[in-house]
Amino acid sequence: MLGLSIRNLALILVVWLSGCSGMDSMTSDKTNTRTLQLFNWNNYIAPETIQRFETTCNCQVKQDYFSDNEEMLAKLAAGATGYDLIVPTGNALHTLIRQQALLPLNKAQLPNLKNIESAYLNTRFDPDNQFSVPYAYTLTLLGYNKNKIQELGLPTDTWALIFEPEYLQKIKHRVTVLDSPRELMASALLYLGYSANDQDEAHWNQAEALIIRAKPYWAAFSNTSYIRELAIGDLWVVQGYSNDLFQAALDAHKTGRSFAIDYTIPRQGAVMSLDSMVIHRSGQHPDLAHQFINFMMDGKNSAELTNLIGSGNPNRDATAFIRPELTHYPVIFPDPSALLHLEMLTDLNHKQRRALSRIWTEIKLR
Amino acid sequence: MKEIADIPEKTMRHSSPLLRLIAMLVYAFLYIPLCIVIVFSFNDSKLNAEWVGFTLHWYQTLWHDHEMLLAVRNSLFIACCASTSATILGTMAGLAIHRYKLKVLPILAFTPLAMPEILLGVSLLLFYLQVLNLTLGLLSIILAHTTFCIGFVAIIVRARLQGMDESIFEAARDLGATPWQAFYHVTLPLIKPAIIAGALMSFTLSIDDFVITFFTKGIGEPILPIQIYTMIKVAVTPEVNAISTLLMLLTLTLIILASRFDSSMLRDPSR
Amino acid sequence: MQLSNRLIKWLISGPPLVFLLIFFVAPSLIMIVTSFRLPGEFGGLAPLTIFSEHTSIDSGLTLETYQFFLSDWIYLEIFLKSFFIATLTTIICIAMAYPLALLIANSPRKFRNLMIMLVVLPFASNFLIRVYAWMIILGPESTLSHVINHILGVLGLEPVTLLFSPFAVLIGMVYVHLPFMILPLYTNLEKHDPILLDAAQDLGANRWQQFWCVTWPLSLPGIFSGSALVFIPVLGMFAIPDILGGTGDIMIGNLIKDQFLGTRDWPFGSTLSIMLTIAVLGATVFFTWLARSVMRSP
Repeated sequence: MLGLSIRNLALILVVWLSGCSGMDSMTSDKTNTRTLQLFNWNNYIAPETIQRFETTCNCQVKQDYFSDNEEMLAKLAAGATGYDLIVPTGNALHTLIRQQALLPLNKAQLPNLKNIESAYLNTRFDPDNQFSVPYAYTLTLLGYNKNKIQELGLPTDTWALIFEPEYLQKIKHRVTVLDSPRELMASALLYLGYSANDQDEAHWNQAEALIIRAKPYWAAFSNTSYIRELAIGDLWVVQGYSNDLFQAALDAHKTGRSFAIDYTIPRQGAVMSLDSMVIHRSGQHPDLAHQFINFMMDGKNSAELTNLIGSGNPNRDATAFIRPELTHYPVIFPDPSALLHLEMLTDLNHKQRRALSRIWTEIKLR
Repeated sequence: MKEIADIPEKTMRHSSPLLRLIAMLVYAFLYIPLCIVIVFSFNDSKLNAEWVGFTLHWYQTLWHDHEMLLAVRNSLFIACCASTSATILGTMAGLAIHRYKLKVLPILAFTPLAMPEILLGVSLLLFYLQVLNLTLGLLSIILAHTTFCIGFVAIIVRARLQGMDESIFEAARDLGATPWQAFYHVTLPLIKPAIIAGALMSFTLSIDDFVITFFTKGIGEPILPIQIYTMIKVAVTPEVNAISTLLMLLTLTLIILASRFDSSMLRDPSR
Repeated sequence: MQLSNRLIKWLISGPPLVFLLIFFVAPSLIMIVTSFRLPGEFGGLAPLTIFSEHTSIDSGLTLETYQFFLSDWIYLEIFLKSFFIATLTTIICIAMAYPLALLIANSPRKFRNLMIMLVVLPFASNFLIRVYAWMIILGPESTLSHVINHILGVLGLEPVTLLFSPFAVLIGMVYVHLPFMILPLYTNLEKHDPILLDAAQDLGANRWQQFWCVTWPLSLPGIFSGSALVFIPVLGMFAIPDILGGTGDIMIGNLIKDQFLGTRDWPFGSTLSIMLTIAVLGATVFFTWLARSVMRSP
């Protein structure tokens, strides 16, 4: 009797497992197609673009998202291997190159490289673009509910809006800042009149004090959820990425809200992130990754990064396809005078990372 | 006469109306949140705020969410493998601990249950990356889940053995049975309920585990608890409620099954 | 015969022992070693050989991370804060679990199993779902929030946000861990001999005195084992502050998680984990000692 029931149990198990594999064939019926593993910023490519690439190359694209460069690097270090393509910002790109984690690009497979504006090539992070090609750029800005801020009579062109209690008390708990030590410290340093890349300990401490003083007025540290909350009117002021603020403004407009979302470059300056496409050594499909890079450098496809996502575009050929009202938008395409106020972040060594982590812990604790 | 009147008073001693009220409130505290999750899975509104109308829309969305179905499949697969290996190893551990009064094995088997999960997760992550050089994926999760499930199975099996009469096994040996025969024909039938309960228990624990999975998962293979976590953190829609409701049904069934096989396990406060 | 018995012993205890040595003991040792190393330039760990040139210690191991931990009060403060939250959670759990456990233990035998089953059933749902439920209940648009803020408005007070606050974290902690308190308490209370209470009553004790002088002291071992089961997991929790917490709700667990998935500082993450292990061991010893001394004293 026992033998019988153990056999029954085994039978149940077999049925169970085969049931699972049956679901397998149901969920991924295209088992023969190749899959491109993409590790990209949250909200940084339109589903339309992905779909078009999938049809063109007869493959599947699987995306994982990050919302902070440090998070991306940490996940890679902590065993997230197998991504074909990653879209890091300059400083993280520099780290990945020095780590020898990237495959050199085969330029013969990238004829569309000619479309990229030369100003965005040969950056100090990757001279000669051996490992990377520019994807798009974003700015870290102040986004706000235009009507509400006008009503309250607050200024919109200064980081003081998220750091000075004098302004913050009128918008208490309606403000979020990025949950990113680097980005938040950069804004604080800029507001204090230093460079976003300042590494002086005393200046860091000043910035920390500034942040701790302002923190009681903030609702949250948020990297993604602010998009929705700004668009439905729960938040009035945020520190956010230009493409996410574009999304929030679009959502608010589309759903017919009674207010508008706007965003500006504060006069103290802002951080500019030039994000590039790179091929990771652990990926399974370097060929497919090259195809994707070339596809994204095509003017029409690249233009969607601006038209649908709202990011700045380093692609010369894309200009023709970009909606004309966007080409004159100063936060998407900053004019030369604004460019002077924009800084790209550089990477930190492990001592500095530890110091920053300590400051961040203290900020969270207070 | 006086005695008879006393009895009801004594049995009701602590069950004063106040105590009953408080106990009812605690039950409500336990159940209302789950009921709300279930009710809102049928709510015809994207916001989990107020009741708008009945719909099965979120279940349909779920049915077409390939990523989510893949996560369900992966989690079921992991739970099958982890519970099978944990049941075998845990039964052996339970037997060995009971029979040989070992010193080290119980410490190794039971400590992972008493520690915060994050410690096991982090140490396994470091071990996989530095020593095994393992690509994180389904296998790394299965091994991790097996590690903490062994202890649960061992506890249940040992508890069953403790209530048993050792002499039966000795009698079988005296009658000339080989150790294997004695085990197969005497011990195994007796501890079978505990083994099945342990297997179902580890299956439930594996499919539910978030923290250890969080640290030992790889890329490309979605896992159910991680998928739920991402949905909660990034974009909450009632689809989360729908998958929650289905998952509750599944684990509920398993727990009830497990308790049918071995009711004593309910007293072992697990986790 | 002797030999085959020993063989059987190893056949049975060997496989689980080996498995646990590999997947529990070895990882723990690796974690200890990691805490004495330096973080790599790009994350992970610095190679051991490089540092032998710069330091007098040949092994390349260093106490730097421990010094860093001790150099600053904030890490100790986070430990204290986590201890505080864990203690508060435990006390609330005792307060909520006691009446229920008492009621179940005093109910007719045939109802007890059902009532205990009703306590265990919420376990059947995923941990994240139980936390998520409170996101719905405490959310800014929820009925509860509206009611509370309406009352506060009538009283002329500022409206409050319930979600993303220390209050939400505490509720989540209590909700997830409450059954761990109810079960051991019930197991203890169930064993009490009603004759003791009768005796106390015959001696003229009122109900409150009966409870305070008989039931409560006898139930202390149950309370302590329940406390250990609540206190220890709460101490290492990161998901609940992560999901329900606000700008300031950070616990040891979050800090550890951040070292691995945020700042690429494995040695510091390992050091924090070891400190947490020590804290957990301390708590276990404390609760065991409490339970033993209570058992002995009467």
